[in-house]
Amino acid sequence: MKIEGTQKIAAPRDRIFAALIDPAILQKCIPGCEQMEKTGDNQYKAKLTAGVGPVKGAFTATVSLQEIIAPEHYKLVVEGKGQPGFVKGSGELNLKDAGSETEIQYTGDVNVGGLIASVGQRMIQATANMLAARFFKSLEAETATNSPASSTGT
Amino acid sequence: MIPASFDYIAAKSLDEAISLLAKHKDDAKVLAGGHSLLPAMKLRLMQPKVLIDLGRIRDLSYIKEDGGLIRIGAMTTHFQVEISDLLRRSCPLLPETASHLGDMQVRNKGTIGGSLAHSDPAADWPASILALDAELVATSAKGDRVIKATDFFVEMLTTSLQPGEILREIRIPSGKSKPAQAYVKVRHPASGFAVVGVAVNLSIDGGKCQSAAIGITGVSPKAYRASKVESALKGNALDAKTLSAACAHAAAAVDVNSDLYASAEYRKQLATVYTRRAIEIAAGRAK
Repeated sequence: MKIEGTQKIAAPRDRIFAALIDPAILQKCIPGCEQMEKTGDNQYKAKLTAGVGPVKGAFTATVSLQEIIAPEHYKLVVEGKGQPGFVKGSGELNLKDAGSETEIQYTGDVNVGGLIASVGQRMIQATANMLAARFFKSLEAETATNSPASSTGT
Repeated sequence: MIPASFDYIAAKSLDEAISLLAKHKDDAKVLAGGHSLLPAMKLRLMQPKVLIDLGRIRDLSYIKEDGGLIRIGAMTTHFQVEISDLLRRSCPLLPETASHLGDMQVRNKGTIGGSLAHSDPAADWPASILALDAELVATSAKGDRVIKATDFFVEMLTTSLQPGEILREIRIPSGKSKPAQAYVKVRHPASGFAVVGVAVNLSIDGGKCQSAAIGITGVSPKAYRASKVESALKGNALDAKTLSAACAHAAAAVDVNSDLYASAEYRKQLATVYTRRAIEIAAGRAK
């Protein structure tokens, strides 16, 4: 399954990029992410409860950030599994200045398997789009206000 | 396919169900016909600790007309809607929608309220409920709250029902003498859900469309009113030119679903074609 889109956020590019590689901010922005633990350089282990409405499943995932070119590009590789199935995929984020705003272009390829794929196939794409929209909304909230991004930076 | 263990409580009255729900909160799910909830529990995609069954509450199942409103109890089964003389006469869109829904087992046990509260993005009811400008009555310890159909569907599997609220009744403005209504559907061959479902409720006078209400399900993460199509029809004769211009907007301004069975592009095309078909059928019935 392909996930792609562009999102404009009214904040400077440096600041958004810093937020996008900050595990504390990622944890806040990824819908249902309960824990994000550093396991190595740009490697993290995450615990999350993902789903839609009352249908939810607990997943554990490894997340690694690769090809980091600040402040314009990185690649995100995610592998997760849980009781309802597994998710495996990678995506690239590219940041561009757009006037006073920043345009984030994202494209990814995700495989979803197991139970969730066999019974929930018709809802997976829409769920992915919905979760992406929520992520960027939270990211916008995190980067638009002044304090959190700077205080949680490492 | 065995569900995780849970407690089962059969509420004897709506008041009891409300207080049970207030007591168990997020641990509880309300059981109506069980044709979405129980399969999800068997797959352990949902694991409520408590089920509050509304099935024994008799006064939640009715279809009646009073004060310019048709009232349908939330626990009315799809089949009861399908065979209701009252609805066939004054609001045929609902029986027609019911006849397309699921299979016989689902229609016999599944309920209109359960389906609406579950809010599957490809369920049939939302299209018709939107096209009829229905109101949904939710009840809780605080009393009744009336929700407009257009405000009810929030996103996939999510409605504007609040924690502690139970959907009690569906209200529909009483129809005219010859309702120009139709529901058409592209049925998913395996699941029976709507790949595209279009409900049309027209008012036609003097050869012109006076008002149009069109609800579309299956196309987007939630059912919606095709307002651009509606405004393109209003005040016009429903000729070929008007229809093709109007129906091109059937999936305008929504995110179109894509899955293994139907790509977004194909769904959009189906929405256009089936919206036109539904309008033509509805208009034909007004004559």
